[in-house]
Amino acid sequence: MVMSRRSIGRFLFSGMLALAAAGAAVAYANAPSLDARSADALIGSEPPALLAPITQAGRKGWECKPEQAAAAADRHAAMLPGDPSR
Amino acid sequence: MRFGCIAAALLFAWFGVARAQMYPTPRPVPRSTDAPTLHAQAVQREVTERFGIGLAAENRNEWDRAAPEFERIVALKPPEPQGSTAHYDLGLAYAHLGRNDDAAAQFRAAIALDPGFLAAMANLIGVDLARGNIKEARAVADGFLAIAPDSARALYSRGIVALAGDDARTAQNDFGRLIASNPSYAVAHYDLGLAEMQLGRSDDALREFQTALGLAPRYARARFALATLLLKTGRRADARVAFDEVARDPNGDSALANLAGSMRDAIAIH
Repeated sequence: MVMSRRSIGRFLFSGMLALAAAGAAVAYANAPSLDARSADALIGSEPPALLAPITQAGRKGWECKPEQAAAAADRHAAMLPGDPSR
Repeated sequence: MRFGCIAAALLFAWFGVARAQMYPTPRPVPRSTDAPTLHAQAVQREVTERFGIGLAAENRNEWDRAAPEFERIVALKPPEPQGSTAHYDLGLAYAHLGRNDDAAAQFRAAIALDPGFLAAMANLIGVDLARGNIKEARAVADGFLAIAPDSARALYSRGIVALAGDDARTAQNDFGRLIASNPSYAVAHYDLGLAEMQLGRSDDALREFQTALGLAPRYARARFALATLLLKTGRRADARVAFDEVARDPNGDSALANLAGSMRDAIAIH
């Protein structure tokens, strides 16, 4: 049985259409939803800057500002990241 | 008259003597010919000298000049507190030179010598986060908070480590405690909002993002988070308005502006 040229063309066209539809379906299934896209961009705030050098007298005593900053309960004294500009 | 002169002379002499007695007697200069003692003194002088040079370089942000000074001090193994302090300062120099693995090793060595060294713990968490070692950062943050439960830096550090490690419950607890002592800290409200969102508590998250924006209206990341939450809870029109505000005023964050703009446009066409 010999297929006509027209039948071959139809067959190829149908195959390409099916492939395109399958590709579109896969792309749609893999595309993140809108809220997932924005949720991925939600990250915690930045780490605080490193504390400063310490003299050879060591961390104990009132002169050691980095150690005081590490222990402070106040966020300014602790040198945490500042709030964004108002 | 003669009596008065004698009395004045005696008084003057008395004060002269009293003043002379206030001078301390000179202490003998310690001297030794013992070789180990002389060596120890020479090492101590070198340590002191190198600390001075290294700290001066660090204060000028010349970290590459500071590092060799502290490397030499560490090699000399000075007693405490110089030992742990030298490791700390060397770790700081390495961190600023981008050598985070080496920096972490030095901060760890400082803590090993002085287990209560809070500044070293704080900086070790920082370099661990920079090199993506969430596991060690979390362990150090737990220890930091156990020693200093009221420390704002310990609460903040463990909070962001917990968020990065998907432990929203701990982050919620830590940022909640941080806010209790620092209620006007917008950044902590933002982070607490993220933790509440991860826990599925949308109303609490909404309140925290709104509080953060009330304290810092140009806080673009908080507004983006608010927009995301609004979108997630089906309030698309409000979300679009919030994304639009971020796109128009990203507070210097151009990447966030682009993303917010694309989100706004995507909501419009859906």
